[in-house]
Amino acid sequence: MNKKQKKKKKRKAIKYRDIELNIMPFIDVFSLLNTFLLMSAVFIAIGVLEVQIPFLSSAPPDTKDNERTLDISVDVEKEKIEVTTVWSRAPENEEKKDFPLTKAGSAELHKFLVNVRKTNPEYDKVSLFTADDVIWKDVAMVIDAIKTRLPGDPLIVPKNGTDAEKAMATDFIYPKVVMSSVML
Amino acid sequence: MASVQNDEGVSLNLMPMLDIFSILITFLLMSYSTDPVSYDISAGLELPDSVTITALDELPTIIVTKNEIMVNDKKVATILGGDVPERDRSQGAVYPVFVELEKLAEANKRVFRGKEDKTKTSVLTMEMDQSHQFKLMKRIMLAAQQAEFVTFKLMVAREAE
Repeated sequence: MNKKQKKKKKRKAIKYRDIELNIMPFIDVFSLLNTFLLMSAVFIAIGVLEVQIPFLSSAPPDTKDNERTLDISVDVEKEKIEVTTVWSRAPENEEKKDFPLTKAGSAELHKFLVNVRKTNPEYDKVSLFTADDVIWKDVAMVIDAIKTRLPGDPLIVPKNGTDAEKAMATDFIYPKVVMSSVML
Repeated sequence: MASVQNDEGVSLNLMPMLDIFSILITFLLMSYSTDPVSYDISAGLELPDSVTITALDELPTIIVTKNEIMVNDKKVATILGGDVPERDRSQGAVYPVFVELEKLAEANKRVFRGKEDKTKTSVLTMEMDQSHQFKLMKRIMLAAQQAEFVTFKLMVAREAE
């Protein structure tokens, strides 16, 4: 290797060693993206639990006088939840079941109510009675257990239901929750 | 001369910062919410957790913080010891809430007069601190009932899926 070739090789090596990726624009884009995402992010997702309160109306009742209907009521007290299912006409077949007012208790209540709905898919209303000293956090937990259809729950579609009722079946076990203790 | 050579050798390693940025962006993109309504929860108020999948579709009308009740951002009553004072009660309901809701009901009736869809005229959204007792909620609901609001959308914090 002569002197000229050696010089050329050395220059080439230096050239390759000096190449560097300019990552500053990349960092700028990342910084802007970070700022935008942090400013617009919603860290707590808000949901709603829809409930009805009783309302006195002069309109005629939905059901016929001689029709046999199932009444499902849930009583929430300071430490327990009591569920009562009773038919409006004989045989009344009244059934009562207690659950503790805990997360595990509300999960059991949910399972029980899913079974009741599965056996009687035409009845989609639950009357909720709540004692004055129960905190809203626990009431929300019970409404969740009554209303919301969880993953793994069966899809219960009423046979003679309207399109809206059939659509609600995908999200709810009992779509109608009436807070019956709100009465003058 | 030696110091000049040392200065040339100093360079900031930006790779760890890029790593942090990448992780942060991945986390933010994964937790990014696409809720149609974004809402800032009122200060001094904590919502109960829920597994509901129903999203909020309108702004709240009644806000019950630890110390006060607001209707459409207007303070109407004070909460003392977890309940409204005796002077603000009437037939078990919170009277100032009833007064405000009656005004709202009148306004709703004017707006929805002649329109077919009147379902929204009787709906209220309520944001309430999770530590309050049902007694207080009942008083507010009774006031709403007297003002002909019968459907409540109770705000909750949705648990992560």
